[in-house]
Amino acid sequence: MPTLMETVTMADWFRETANWVFLLIAFPTVFGAWRTVSSDNIVRAVLYLVVALGGTAAMFLMLGAAFIGWTVVLVYIGAVVILFLMGIMITRAPLGAEAKLSHGREVKVPAALLSGILFAVIAGSVVDAFGASIIRPFEPTLTTDLANVLFGRFIIPFEVVSFVLLAALIGGIVLARQDDVGGLE
Amino acid sequence: MFPLDYHALLPEIILAVTVLVTLVVDLTTRKKYLVALTAMVGLFAAFVPVLTLAFCDSLEFCAAAGVDRVLFGGSYVVDGYALVFKGLFIFAAFIALLLSIGYLEADRYYEGEYYFLLIASALGAVVMASSRDFVSMIVALELVSGPAFLLAGWRKGDPRSNEAALKFFITGIIALSLLLFGVSLLYGLTGTIQFDQIAVASMAVADLPLFTLAVIFVLLGFGFKVSAVPFHFWTPDTYEGAPKPVTAWIAVGSKAAGFVGLLTVAYLAFPGVTEVWGPVMWVLALLSMTVGNIVAIKQTNVIRLLGYSSIAQAGFMLAPFGAAAASGADSLSQVFAATVTYLVIFVVMNLGAFAVVIIIGSRVGSYEFEDWAGLNRYAPGLAIMLAVFFMSLAGIPPLAGWFAKFAVFQATIGVGNWWGYSIAIAAALNAVIAFVYYAKVLKPAFFDPVPKGVDVEALEAAEIPAPIGFALALTAFGVIVLGVFPGVAANLGQYTAQVVAALGG
Repeated sequence: MPTLMETVTMADWFRETANWVFLLIAFPTVFGAWRTVSSDNIVRAVLYLVVALGGTAAMFLMLGAAFIGWTVVLVYIGAVVILFLMGIMITRAPLGAEAKLSHGREVKVPAALLSGILFAVIAGSVVDAFGASIIRPFEPTLTTDLANVLFGRFIIPFEVVSFVLLAALIGGIVLARQDDVGGLE
Repeated sequence: MFPLDYHALLPEIILAVTVLVTLVVDLTTRKKYLVALTAMVGLFAAFVPVLTLAFCDSLEFCAAAGVDRVLFGGSYVVDGYALVFKGLFIFAAFIALLLSIGYLEADRYYEGEYYFLLIASALGAVVMASSRDFVSMIVALELVSGPAFLLAGWRKGDPRSNEAALKFFITGIIALSLLLFGVSLLYGLTGTIQFDQIAVASMAVADLPLFTLAVIFVLLGFGFKVSAVPFHFWTPDTYEGAPKPVTAWIAVGSKAAGFVGLLTVAYLAFPGVTEVWGPVMWVLALLSMTVGNIVAIKQTNVIRLLGYSSIAQAGFMLAPFGAAAASGADSLSQVFAATVTYLVIFVVMNLGAFAVVIIIGSRVGSYEFEDWAGLNRYAPGLAIMLAVFFMSLAGIPPLAGWFAKFAVFQATIGVGNWWGYSIAIAAALNAVIAFVYYAKVLKPAFFDPVPKGVDVEALEAAEIPAPIGFALALTAFGVIVLGVFPGVAANLGQYTAQVVAALGG
């Protein structure tokens, strides 16, 4: 693991340029994620999702996982978001502001409370476990290595995933197909 | 890098080919029963290598390789434990297929794709049994659930079926994200995703709160899959709305796959930290048994009743996990064996219960058991079958269910501490409560008069379709044999437990 136990002060933390880059990515990512769930307009929510996903991709690039970073850009931002937008346009969903997207206060307050507690617990234990470790800049993962692992040790999960996708494709067609109710042929 | 052991992978390869062949057969013929036949032949063919692998030691051509085969550096293992479950999943899929044939013909929904998805789901379960790292296991679990989500919504025209699929899908996705989040934390802490390496690496980080949190997330993820309380809310609605044979597969195949996940992760990845997960499982077991049973008493619909009963049965299977909380390495393999024994018996008797309920339900035209009044007047054979399976679920000797419960009591008490005693007492109380609602279904069927306006002669004359009748005969035979010779299931349990005993050393 690329971690190293050392004592580190706040001033040390700010002296590192990588941390500034991290903040520059992290704040828009969190903001995008927050607006994705809080936005009343579904198209805007999807566009904020692009911001959040873009931030995630940048994080992967920072960690030296170039292949995964660009996969997020191509597959999630490129394909999935477009699918969302296409889906919204095709299904005659309301494009303007839609009040029904947001719940009332009686749902919002407990939900916020619960997520707040969950966040505190997770953040607290993550800081407890990794707070003192420093991630040194390390070698980027080569895509060749990734390919070797994917088609070597992880060949079974790789094959199984292709069956999941095949099943989803065929099942999706059957369920989405318009036909006489209950009818064959 | 990794030379492939084709014999060890043969069941998976045969099933994968079957999945693809069903698609081709479906394309080329209008006789959809041929697709089902292809699927059945495939399942049967996949069962053969499971047997040759299990008896490898005594077979000339593969004695050198032995039964335990470790593939891909330990992330895929074909051993006794994996083989027992591969066999069990293939059996469950075979029965589910038999239940589907008549049902789908009567319903006029898409058939070929249905069989394809069912076999794909079975393939996932078979892969799951051998998975020994988180990536393989989660991907396999999704191959079990993915087709099941789709199959639950197969009756497109029925809003309840849509609801069933949607609820199942959303809870399934939540479970998956919990599981993945836990796994990502574990990977961060231990630097590995392979179970045997986690077992070693986790000792160093066992004191961290984050480790406890990660373990809880992982177990809760599986908790959804086995529909343990408090993650059970999707179960009754999904069971009721989904096509009934799919319900049988979800209640048995998909649930057993969830349990395989729990067993593998708890006993093979975290054997050294039972004090972390034991208490969590103890609470889940207690809640599942009690809530499942108490809510089941109020049900009037047989399918919903079976739904809650299966939640309670999951509680019984979780009880040995709870007893493991403070037990040493030597008794770990005993509690492991108890869960496996229960699971083997549960698969057979629950499939049988679904078979008989589907036959009666489609003949009477209702799944409300008040409408089944006087069943023994016009269909005595079915009434007796109903009694056999429900009495077995309740745990009455000499039917298989009694031994399942006995194995759980024996293991939980055998642990010899209050984690074990307390859960055994709770299980005993729940076994009594369970008897009430199983008897409630049987009472109208045996003692109430036939309702007025029912065409008794037509009901008498109706015949049981051959495939589902065969399924009923197979499971009934299984329930009686496993009940009279409980050593069979117990031996399977002990056989699989070798994998845990080998660890404890």
